[in-house]
Amino acid sequence: MLFRKLWRTMGLYKAQFISMVIMIALGIGVFIGFHMEWVSIEKNMGSFFADTGYADFRLVQESGFSEEDLQKILDIEGVEKAVRYLAVTADVAERSGDSVALTVTTDILVSGFVVTEGEAYDAGSRDGIWLSDKYAAANDIHVGDTLSFLYKSIEVKGEVKGLIKAGEYMICVRDESQLMPDLSTYGFAFISPVLYEEAAGFAFYPQINVVSDMEKKDFTAAAEEALAVTVMVLTKDETISYAEAEGEVSEGKTMGSVLPVLFLLIAVLTMVTTMHRLTAKEKTQIGTLKALGFKDRRILCHYTAYALMIGILGSAIGVALGYGIAYYIMNPDGMMGTYMDMPEWKLYLPWFCYVILVAAIGLLTLIGFSSVRQMLKGTAADALRPYTPKKMKPMLIERTKLFHRLSFGTRWNMRDSMRHKSRTAMSLIGIVGCMILIVASLGMGDTMDAFLALYYDGATNYASRIYLAEEATEAQRNEVLSAYDGDWGASVGVQLEEKTISLDIYSVEHDKVRFPDKDSGYVHIGDDGAYLCMRLAEEFGLSVGDSFTISPYGSDEKYTLKVSGVIRSVSESIVITPKYADMLHISYAIDSVYTDVEKNEIDADSAIKNVSSKQMIIDSFDTFTDLMDTMIVILIAGALLLGVVVLYNLGVMSYTERYREMATLKVVGFKDRKIGSLLIGQNLWLSLIGVVIGIPAGMGVLAYLLKELAGEYEMKMAVSAATIAGSIVLTVGMSLLVSLMVSRKNKKIDMVEALKGAE
Amino acid sequence: MEIVKLEEVSRVYTSGDHELKALDKVSLTLEEGKFVVILGPSGAGKSTLLNMLGGLDSPTSGKIYVQGKDISTLSNNELAEYRASTVGFVFQFYNLVPTLTVHENVALVKEIAPDALSATKMIEEVGLADHLKNFPSELSGGEQQRVSIARALAKNPKILLCDEPTGALDSMTGVLVLKLLLKMARDYGKTIIIVTHNQNIAKMADVVIRVKNGKIVSKEEQANPVSADDIEW
Repeated sequence: MLFRKLWRTMGLYKAQFISMVIMIALGIGVFIGFHMEWVSIEKNMGSFFADTGYADFRLVQESGFSEEDLQKILDIEGVEKAVRYLAVTADVAERSGDSVALTVTTDILVSGFVVTEGEAYDAGSRDGIWLSDKYAAANDIHVGDTLSFLYKSIEVKGEVKGLIKAGEYMICVRDESQLMPDLSTYGFAFISPVLYEEAAGFAFYPQINVVSDMEKKDFTAAAEEALAVTVMVLTKDETISYAEAEGEVSEGKTMGSVLPVLFLLIAVLTMVTTMHRLTAKEKTQIGTLKALGFKDRRILCHYTAYALMIGILGSAIGVALGYGIAYYIMNPDGMMGTYMDMPEWKLYLPWFCYVILVAAIGLLTLIGFSSVRQMLKGTAADALRPYTPKKMKPMLIERTKLFHRLSFGTRWNMRDSMRHKSRTAMSLIGIVGCMILIVASLGMGDTMDAFLALYYDGATNYASRIYLAEEATEAQRNEVLSAYDGDWGASVGVQLEEKTISLDIYSVEHDKVRFPDKDSGYVHIGDDGAYLCMRLAEEFGLSVGDSFTISPYGSDEKYTLKVSGVIRSVSESIVITPKYADMLHISYAIDSVYTDVEKNEIDADSAIKNVSSKQMIIDSFDTFTDLMDTMIVILIAGALLLGVVVLYNLGVMSYTERYREMATLKVVGFKDRKIGSLLIGQNLWLSLIGVVIGIPAGMGVLAYLLKELAGEYEMKMAVSAATIAGSIVLTVGMSLLVSLMVSRKNKKIDMVEALKGAE
Repeated sequence: MEIVKLEEVSRVYTSGDHELKALDKVSLTLEEGKFVVILGPSGAGKSTLLNMLGGLDSPTSGKIYVQGKDISTLSNNELAEYRASTVGFVFQFYNLVPTLTVHENVALVKEIAPDALSATKMIEEVGLADHLKNFPSELSGGEQQRVSIARALAKNPKILLCDEPTGALDSMTGVLVLKLLLKMARDYGKTIIIVTHNQNIAKMADVVIRVKNGKIVSKEEQANPVSADDIEW
């Protein structure tokens, strides 16, 4: 019989029941969704890298490595597997403008691939090409088609034997300046060493890729001892695919540790207030059951079961929602699919989510349990007496004259807020939470826009960047430079303590390249010192006036540089002028020319390796901002839903609690509209306070997120006036809408019924 | 002068297939300035009658004239205006706003009633000048009912409607409240209508109307009503 009562009670409080279930589902769903996302990336990426033998170390030497060198590396204790490796950007002869990373590995078990269609890899094949399946699909290339790749004077011709995915190209971008892959114009292809050596006429491998569990320090020492020369060693953290995917994982962790926790917290707080109100309203019923002779335990179980059911139902919907969110982000055709190229897209529910689920249900049950126990205190007669809220006491502010000049409605609302503190606090938390989410997500968009404007509209002042070929002579380099009349740059790989970074020498006379400073301006690069990016400055604790020492790869030379400034940069780098480089006797070769000449007007030249246009860069970050915008829309929708549910639930509670008061006002002669405006007034005031708290709180959360993401981007927080205005309009609008929904109920107040019976 | 006139007023409540006739073709006229008591057992229809007069409820059929104006066809907003300007209520359970002080509960009516009287003066008259800043929860039942009377009169209404005003009070306090109610009504020249099932109160009235099963059984005028002090409880 009590079970039947349980169902009917649920029907009676359906607004509360539904809103609690929604809150729990939202909290659990967002939490699980965000955490599943990064855990799934980590796991799928891990198994993909393991399957394709992603290299832990890359030895780089411009003169190349021989088979003997490889054997020496293989002989190092701790090295599991090693291969000689080559990857060059080659043009696709059949498709003008397209290029691929043409790759050769001497053993497919290291830096290899998985075949998704066609034949397995054949190390002895004389005409086999194993091509990126996504590039093939985007360009209508099938197994059996023939393709030719051009690299300098070498032409590699073959038949597509298989379509593949490769760990090394999981995030397939030309270089770090490209934010998103574009597999329709830039893909990758593997050929066998046999085909490569036949086509080229020599066996040049500038890289040895190694799978090993060793520490970088130990491995570098062992490799240098084995080869008897200094070589550049890159760890997997310094490769784009691994570093960017790891960045995505840590980004997910950061997002998962802030936003969903906010949702969960609000859900639990709503549960506390709502369960308390609900049992308070049921107090006479509880007393009746007690008077009838039901034992306390039985009554406790009955009402606790109510909380347990809300917990279980909410969690179940939450898990489904979480899977939905995770799938939306993490599927091969979804947002992450345009970024990462992996064969497996399994979703994993991390272990701590089970813990959170059990804890959440446990906590909700406990909340239900303790609310009922409070009502059961004392004798059956005590329990039978209706619940009375705390008696009114004058507030401090009432001693001021100002208070008595306030309108009756304002005073009424102020006292009501004080009388029902927990309800007021919860409404405020709901509004502040909604505001934080909207300000932080819109602010994230602003920050990203400002970041892109700073780098790509402001700092990238050229139409094309010409990459010069490694083997071009100095005369050839100067020829290209004078032909296209631009600024130039040169990069030298250097070690700063244990870290491998790029020392960039820029000659900027035509203002084609600019360097953003800490604020939103640009730094003039002077000849008196080095300019560090913010990440390096922070990591090594360097500021203007300090000195640091670097050493170029493959040499024992050491140079001491003075810090002259700090800049914001996309990649981790140090910038100096040619004059400063000459002063320190650092040797370099010009490798890039920045010019206003359009890409298609630049003639092919043996000294030119590759040309990229500004448009290509802009296209890639358009995809990136689209991705960002989708996330922002999801978060804002979530925030508004959260706000509506919290405020509606509390609004209905407030309405029920003040029903008698409102009926009295109505009897006295107040019109519905006037009573409605009293209720709306209270919400409006709360919304305004919420907005005032929410703006700085939202900016605080944004600042925290940006600080956590600083390892990946050097962004300056930007929150536009439009964002603040938009957040206020959305939040206050949402609050007004809910107030209107609730205040419409006024018309249904039954004066006669409400005035019967005692307080 | 005639202040209230009911013509064939019926009120039928329907729930599902059941029909309950709370009032059945009731016709009645009342003179201005009289003290009227409506007597009857539980469920006789007396509260329904009072609610009709107060504009809390509308008749299913029939007409109700107050000061010559038909209130049975008014809209919700017009009814609110009617309640604000013409009638004052005193309830069994006082119905004060718990979050407002004594003074504010009475001053509240200034927001809506055009001819409202001074709240402080009304509270002084009901003898609660020392409790202006107290909240209802700090007062006894009798004191709360006095605030409720002050509130009803502060609107300066034509008619005072009281639904079992002493129902929740002990007899001593009940007498005090009744005396106050009568004195105030006489001083301010109001028509006062009390609904009760207490026969003794009827002895004080100018007019006694008995209601049973939704119909008026009798209406008698008493030339010499008894004073509240002489009533046996």
